[in-house]
Amino acid sequence: MGRFAIGRIVHGVVVVFCVAIVVFATSRLVGDPVGVILPFEATHEQRAALRHQLGFDRPILEQFGEYITNLARGDFGTSLLQDRPTISIVLEHLPATFELVFAGIALAILIAVPLGVVAAVRPGSLVDRMSVSLSLLGLSVPEFFLGILLILFFAVELGVLPASGKGGIEHLILPALTLALPAVGRLTMIARSSMIDQLGQAYVQTAKAKGIPRWRVVGIHALRNALIPVLTLSGWELMRALAGYAVTVETVFAWPGVGYLAFQAVREQDVFLVQTIVLVVAVLVVFVNVGIDILYRVVDPRIKLG
Amino acid sequence: MRRHTMAAISAVVVATVASAALSAASAADATSTSTHATAESITIAIGGEPSTLDPLVRDDGNQRAVTQNVFDTLLGRTPNGSRLYPKLASHHPRRVSRSAWRFKLRPGIRFSNGTPFNADSVVATVRHLLEPKVVTEQASWLGTIKGAKKVNDLTVDILTKGADPIFPSRMSYMRIMPADWKSLPDFANRPVGTGPYVFSEWARGDHITLTANPDYWGKPKPSIRTVTFKFVPEGSTQLAGLVAGNFDLITNLIPENAKRAPKVLSVPSTEHPKFVLNARPGSQVTADVRVRQAMNYAIDKKAIASKLFLGYATVDAGQVLSPSVFGFDKATKAYPHNVARAKQLIEEAGATGKTVNVVGTSGRWLKDRELIEVVTQSWRAIGLEVDVKIYDFREFVSRLVDPKRRPDAIFISSSTDLYDADQQLTMYYAPSGIASSNADQRLKQWIDKARSELNENKRANLYHLAIRRARQQAYFTWLVNFSTLWGMDENLRWQPRSDGYIFVNTMRFVG
Repeated sequence: MGRFAIGRIVHGVVVVFCVAIVVFATSRLVGDPVGVILPFEATHEQRAALRHQLGFDRPILEQFGEYITNLARGDFGTSLLQDRPTISIVLEHLPATFELVFAGIALAILIAVPLGVVAAVRPGSLVDRMSVSLSLLGLSVPEFFLGILLILFFAVELGVLPASGKGGIEHLILPALTLALPAVGRLTMIARSSMIDQLGQAYVQTAKAKGIPRWRVVGIHALRNALIPVLTLSGWELMRALAGYAVTVETVFAWPGVGYLAFQAVREQDVFLVQTIVLVVAVLVVFVNVGIDILYRVVDPRIKLG
Repeated sequence: MRRHTMAAISAVVVATVASAALSAASAADATSTSTHATAESITIAIGGEPSTLDPLVRDDGNQRAVTQNVFDTLLGRTPNGSRLYPKLASHHPRRVSRSAWRFKLRPGIRFSNGTPFNADSVVATVRHLLEPKVVTEQASWLGTIKGAKKVNDLTVDILTKGADPIFPSRMSYMRIMPADWKSLPDFANRPVGTGPYVFSEWARGDHITLTANPDYWGKPKPSIRTVTFKFVPEGSTQLAGLVAGNFDLITNLIPENAKRAPKVLSVPSTEHPKFVLNARPGSQVTADVRVRQAMNYAIDKKAIASKLFLGYATVDAGQVLSPSVFGFDKATKAYPHNVARAKQLIEEAGATGKTVNVVGTSGRWLKDRELIEVVTQSWRAIGLEVDVKIYDFREFVSRLVDPKRRPDAIFISSSTDLYDADQQLTMYYAPSGIASSNADQRLKQWIDKARSELNENKRANLYHLAIRRARQQAYFTWLVNFSTLWGMDENLRWQPRSDGYIFVNTMRFVG
C-alpha cells in the first residue's frame, strides 16, 4: 500500500513538473510578453529596457532554471499587472471558484440521480425519454450560451435573480446552474445505465423474492451500488469544471474566481500570473486524482498501479 | 483603447434570441430602475478589474476609470477635447525656458487625508513618475518629463527633455498624489487624492466603492453619494445587468445592442482603425504607390460606417486624426470610393493577380475581424489576391514592432489620447515610428521638427504637410472614426466625453 501511494505521488509530481515546462515554454515562445505590456507607442529602447528588467533577455534555459528553483522555494513570481505575488492573487480567488464548482456539481448530482433512477425504473416511459432528451440538451448547449440565456430569462425577464457578480446565495444560483446543466446530462445517463445494470442483478431479484418493498430494493439496495460510477464521474466533473468550465462561466457572470482571473490575466498578458494559475489548477487536479486513486485502492485492494 | 473580446461575438449571437426576452423586459425595467435611480448611489460596469489604484504606475483603462474620480490633474480638458483649462493649477502654465513650465497652484486645497496640496505634491508625483518602472509604462503619456522643482509653496516648475509643445496636454493626464504618499499604508490599494470621490472599499474580483468627498474643492460638487465600479468583462452580461436594473451605466456596448439599452448616448471617439501599407522599397506589391492608392479607392468607407457600425462611425478624413485633435488638416479628404479607378491603377501597376499579405488580430478592437473581412474583400474585387493571417494579440504585436517581418498590410486601431497629432504621426507616419511602414525621410523631418516647434501655427503647418504627403502617397488605407457608446439608466443625466473618461461628479439622477 505504501509503495502504491508513493508511486502515485511521484507520478503526480512528474505530471506537475511537465505542466510547469509546458506553461513556461508557451508563455515565452508565443510572441514577446514585453510587446503587450507596454503601449504600442513605446520605443525599441524602452522595450529592450523592460525585457531586461524582467529578465526576458536571458537564455531561455537560465530563465527556466530560475523559475524552477524559485518554485521550489515557494516563489511563484510577481504579477506584472498588480505588482503583488501571483500566488496570493490566485489564493484570493480560489475560494470563490470552489464555492461555485462545488455548488454546481452538488446541484448536478441532486438533479441527475433522481432523474436517472426514475428513468431506469421505468425504461421507455415518458420520464425516461424526457431524461434522455434533457441530457442531450445539457450536453449540447455550450455553457457560455446557456449562461446568457439564463441571465436573460431569470435576471432580465423575470427580474428575480441578479445578472452577475458575487453576493448572497441568490448570486450563486445562476452560475451554479450553468455549470451544473452539462454535468446533469452526463450524470443522468450514467445513473440511468448503472441503475438498469443493478436492477438486473441476482441480489435484486433475491431481495424482491424475499418480499422487501420495491422502494427499499431500488432506493436502498440497488441505489448504493449504482451510485459508485456516479460518484466517480462526479469527481471527474468537478475537475473538469475547475480546470475548464469555470473560465467561461465565471467570465459570463463576472464571478470573482480563478477562471475569471485567468481570463483577465490572459487578456492583459500577465505571463507570470497565467503561469501560476495554470500550475495551481494543475496541482489541484493532479493531487485530487492521486487522492482518489489511493482511496480506490483502500476500498478495493485488487486495483493495481498502472 | 477599448477592448472588445468575447463580448462582440456573444452579443451578436444572442441578440436574435434575446430580442423577445428583452422587449418583454422593458416593461419590468421601468419599475426596476426606479429603485436604483436615487442620488444615493450609482453602479457602473467596467470591462475589468483595475490592476492597481496607483494613478501613475500602469497604463490601464480600468484603473483610470476609478482613479479619475479620486485624483485631480493640474489641467482639465473640456468634454469634446478641444480645450484645456486650469484645474489644480490656478492659471495656464507659463513657459519659463525652452524646457521648463511654471505652474501657479490653487491655494487651500487638501487631500482627503488632510495633507495640503502644494508644490511638494507636484514634486513627489513627478519623482514617482521618474522611477524606472513607471516611466517606461507611461512613456507615451509622460515620457518627456525630466523633473520638477519647487519655486515656493504654490509655484512649481516642471522640466522636460528639450522643448515639448504638447506638455500642457500631458498635464491633463498626470494625476497628482500627496507629498507623503509613500508613508501612507498600502497606497496602491487605498489611494488618497484631492478628487470629488474618496476611496472606500475594494472587494477583489468584484467591485470598488467610492464615496463622495464632502469637502471637494472643485465643481461640480458630486451629487451622487456612493459609486460602485463593478468588473464585468462580458458585454452581454453588462447589457443584461443594465436592463435588469443592476447597473446604471455600462461601458461595453456594441452598435447592434444600442436599441436594447434603456438609453444610449454616443460620442465620437479619437479611435481610428486603419491598415498600414508597406511602402518601403522592395519587391512587395504595395511598394508601388499606384497599388496603395488603388487599395484606398477600392473601399466603400461610407458603407462601412453605416452598415458595419450602424451609423455609429464617420469616414476618416484621410489622416487617422479626429477633427478635435490639434494638427487635423481640414483640407485633406478621404479617398473617394471609385472601383473603376482602383482597377485601372492596379492594371497600370501590373499588379493584377498579385498577392497582398495582410496581418491582423481578432477581438481586440470593435469589429476588427469584420473590418478586415470587408476591406480585403474590396481588394479582391479590384484584382488583387489577398492572404489574411489573424494572430493572437501577442504574436500580432511581435510582428507589428518587428520591421523585418513587416507584412504588406497590417490592421491596427489607435486613439489620440493627448489630442495632438504628435502621438499618431510619430508612431505611424515617421519612418522611425514603431508601427510605421514607409521610408519617407521628408515625413520624418517635418514630424521631428514639429516636436520641438513652439509656435502653434508653424507646428500645425508641419503636421499638415506630413498628412498631405502621406495621403498622396497612400501609406495607409484610412477607414472610419467610430463613436463610443454608453448604455445607461433612463434617469441618469450625463454628457459623455470624447476621451471616454468617466467623471461621476458630472452625473446626476432625475426623477
